[in-house]
Amino acid sequence: MTATVDWAPVLDADPLLQITQDLFATMIDDEPGYVSHWEGERPELEDARHTWVDVADEQIVRVVIGTGRETGEAITRALLRMAPGEEVTDEDFVDAVGEVANVVCGNVKSLVTHPGTLTIPVVADAPPPLGDGERLVDACLSWRGAPLTVSLWVLP
Amino acid sequence: MTIAPDSFDFVATLVRRRSAIQLDSGKEYLVESRLAPLARSAGAADVESYIRSVRANVTLHDKVVEALTTNETSWFRDRHPFTVLKDTVIPDAITRRGKHLKVWSAACSSGQEPYSIAMTIAEHFPDVRASIVATDLSEEVLAKGRSGQYSQLEVNRGLPAPMLVRHFERKGAFFEANERLRSMVSFRRHNLLDAPPLGGPYDVVFLRNVLIYFDVATKRDVMRRVRSVLAPGGWVFLGAAESTIGVDDIWERVPVAGGALYRPREGKAA
Amino acid sequence: MKALVIDDSRVMRRIVGTILKDVGFEVVEAGDGQEALMRLEQHPDVRLCCIDWNMPVMNGYEFIVAARAKPEYRDITLMMITTEGEQDQIVRALAAGAHEYVIKPFTADVIIDKLDYLGLLDQEVSV
Repeated sequence: MTATVDWAPVLDADPLLQITQDLFATMIDDEPGYVSHWEGERPELEDARHTWVDVADEQIVRVVIGTGRETGEAITRALLRMAPGEEVTDEDFVDAVGEVANVVCGNVKSLVTHPGTLTIPVVADAPPPLGDGERLVDACLSWRGAPLTVSLWVLP
Repeated sequence: MTIAPDSFDFVATLVRRRSAIQLDSGKEYLVESRLAPLARSAGAADVESYIRSVRANVTLHDKVVEALTTNETSWFRDRHPFTVLKDTVIPDAITRRGKHLKVWSAACSSGQEPYSIAMTIAEHFPDVRASIVATDLSEEVLAKGRSGQYSQLEVNRGLPAPMLVRHFERKGAFFEANERLRSMVSFRRHNLLDAPPLGGPYDVVFLRNVLIYFDVATKRDVMRRVRSVLAPGGWVFLGAAESTIGVDDIWERVPVAGGALYRPREGKAA
Repeated sequence: MKALVIDDSRVMRRIVGTILKDVGFEVVEAGDGQEALMRLEQHPDVRLCCIDWNMPVMNGYEFIVAARAKPEYRDITLMMITTEGEQDQIVRALAAGAHEYVIKPFTADVIIDKLDYLGLLDQEVSV
């Protein structure tokens, strides 16, 4: 780990929970109270989508968000103020969940005062290759009862 | 929809018993707007049905009292008072009292108001020494005020970015008021129904958006206690929707720049 | 009043644009700083720019420096809206000429409060 980055502020699930709660309370739900730690056994994501954003520097920091497609669509509708049940195009989906990952990753970057820059979000059906990466945090959260995973990696 | 009279009475009685705050009829809108978010997150159809569930469940009572007694707070709230403070009140106080001012920020909640006063003084009157006494009923909000730490969401809300970087420093997830700012403000627990806090006489008192909760007799008492610690020539700020008119004629309402300030009438000073 | 929303994310342009339209702005968009400079030439009546930091081609910081170098743009209010929340970054943007700085995430009220403070809201919609 480089001397410039102090990981301590994010080294458990709570800072990621707080960041996610703030994001959902302001831009998605318009009020707090809908995001919490997942209680009980960790569920499988149905029709999973994985979204990641890196902070690129000597080391790569990667935030990966996992949701089921349906949950991702609900997030998209809320973020874009669409009608309930309105069809979500792939383009809207990628942009919206990408923005969620971007805000979470940007807030992580501020917390650890990382000097790098944020990359453009990538959305895929499979988790990103993480190779010899070290997983610093792996949180499973609940948004309105649906699972949402948020993990933080450092790649060599 | 409006809430039923007996539901309103229930809430008013509950709040009066717990906090001495009086919700007269006519305050239905306040009950509705403050309880609507609670009703929503409890999944109730509306505020009326939420109150019915509160009546059946004593564990919800604290939440209701808190929702009705906690002051919404933001930086430079309503802005106008801080302009008047800068342009009129502080220059006036300096001519009378020199460069040491005492300010009381009553019902200060988590500290945004006293720190906004402190920033106004630090930015525009750098050679003035100010001591700001900030009081509230709740130890919890006072502890937050003392820490001087506010989240990113809290500083986003109404604190101009140039002031944020001049007076705060990022510490992890929080922005913390700098030493200068924190040294200007002291936080103390105080109930407005008790004797006023020591540390006066005060050149300026901020008592905003709190009289609305009291009945006329209590308003008069609270204001008389304020007068008893006001420096000669001192000024009182009330909330935009508040006034001493019809409460007590010892107060003079002085229109200033589209708003108003209050001071004891001459010849009736304490 | 006309506003220019500069962000490479379509979603953010839509969110910020909607907030601005709701308080009476006419909104034009740009996907990066370079495109934004072009838009300013096409729309000399723009009074407000809402600017993301990280964008391809020309980032928000470079845009502010470029816009501040032109005297004809001196009356335009520049507001950063970004996830970059480090104190150094805020100081840098303000020193380069930004008037305001909003850290994501934010609510519509945060933007509206700041516009009000900057004197950019019409009387009838101001709160």
